Amino acid sequence: MSNPPLVRLEHTGKRFGAGAPVLEDINLEVARGEFISFIGPSGCGKSTLLRLIAGLTPVTSGNIMVDGMTPQNAREELFFVFQDANLLPWRRVSANVELPMMLRGDHFVKRQERVSAMLELVGLSAAANKFPWQLSGGMKMRVSIARALSVAPHILLLDEPFGALDEMTRDQLNEDLLGIRARDPFTAFFVTHSVAEAVFLSTRIIVLSANPGRVHRVVPVPFPYPRPPELRESPEFLRLLAETSHELRAVRH
Amino acid sequence: MKRHLPWILPLVTGALLISAWYGLKRAFHIESFVLPAPDEILTAAWRERHALLSAVWLTAQGALLGFLAAVSVGFGLSMFLAFSIRIKQSFYPYILILQMTPVIILAPIFVLWLGQGLPSIVAITFMICFFPVVANTTMGFISVERNLQELFVMCNATRGQEIRYLRIPGAMPYFLTGVKIAGTLAPIGAITGDFLAGSAQNGVGGIGFMTVTYFSQLKTPALFATGMTACLLGFLFVFGVNYLHWFLLHQWHDSLVRKE
Repeated sequence: MSNPPLVRLEHTGKRFGAGAPVLEDINLEVARGEFISFIGPSGCGKSTLLRLIAGLTPVTSGNIMVDGMTPQNAREELFFVFQDANLLPWRRVSANVELPMMLRGDHFVKRQERVSAMLELVGLSAAANKFPWQLSGGMKMRVSIARALSVAPHILLLDEPFGALDEMTRDQLNEDLLGIRARDPFTAFFVTHSVAEAVFLSTRIIVLSANPGRVHRVVPVPFPYPRPPELRESPEFLRLLAETSHELRAVRH
Repeated sequence: MKRHLPWILPLVTGALLISAWYGLKRAFHIESFVLPAPDEILTAAWRERHALLSAVWLTAQGALLGFLAAVSVGFGLSMFLAFSIRIKQSFYPYILILQMTPVIILAPIFVLWLGQGLPSIVAITFMICFFPVVANTTMGFISVERNLQELFVMCNATRGQEIRYLRIPGAMPYFLTGVKIAGTLAPIGAITGDFLAGSAQNGVGGIGFMTVTYFSQLKTPALFATGMTACLLGFLFVFGVNYLHWFLLHQWHDSLVRKE
């Protein structure tokens, strides 16, 4: 018996006002537990696509179903990790992680337990009482991820979360993200500029073309989880990296 | 030596200015009722200490009440204005008109309505202080980062939660800037109010009233001493609002955190 897809996009399109369409005829079915990366030239609408799935902006044609609901109604299953860490500067790290649970009305004791568990998961227990300005870019991003995971979302939407970080920090966070996902499974949608990152993380990579954004190619990534860091040096990995880069060049006229 | 400069330099400047003051007075034979010497001012201040103290106390009350009214009404009004762009469009021009009307014209109107004395002084102080609070705080409520708003949308936050946990703390730096400006204006407002609408009970009024009295009696040294007292009151207010600003923001706001 085949499970129904968790997220289904049918002929999804988006235009802002009377402008040219940003996205056109996107069709995609994503099963529970998948890790989907969107990659494409800038302006191809990959961030917009993520925002459509999050229900932060409405579709203008076709439709999106998240677990049988519209994205707006499925908010309790979704969480968004923003491009910059997007922490509230006046709240300490622990209070930032606590925020979504507090807004949801979770009990205080449960919140405190969950905050410590999440901070431990991202390796930031020692920074619980710090303010965001006291953290490095990578640490802020970890807090942002801990905050997103605190409400145990089924679906995590990540909009270029590691784009501003140096390569070493990014690799580390990629490995950590997969480690967290092994313990706390979620379905992920991940927007990135980095082909290597997409190949290392994903089950499928969606290469988008621009003007308007369409699905150019879907690249399945066959590597099983857990994926060790050494995977990055294996010939299969490098072959897939080259293939995906090639596809990306094809849409970048 | 170098680390003592910050307090030695102003002392040296002060000494030079005071010497110039004495020099000028002597060189041009300036009478004391035109320009009193610093020692005459201090003597006058001591002689008039009871009158000056009760005057500054009276003015401080007017300044504090007017300031507190301006800060709380200003905060509430800003929240109302920021609630929707239509509300702001409807009301802001009238707030501006109120601000543009000179206090010197409003003062007699307040006296007609509220009578001579503290209530009018508070009203005048309020009029002078409240615009900077409203203008800054409204700006703060409106300029919340879009990403943070979307975070609250993703959390299914209610409007009330968004205001309490996002808009109010986010507007704090703006609000406190308004409060700082209001704090420097409050003593000036209260003295102006006292000058225009003050009343003397038992022969003692506020700072503004004392100014009129000493001037009419040509007690110039006492007039200068009154100025000195007003200055002290001003510093007290500035110190107060600066402390509040520091107290509420020093842990997180960019303008105050110490960057290593």
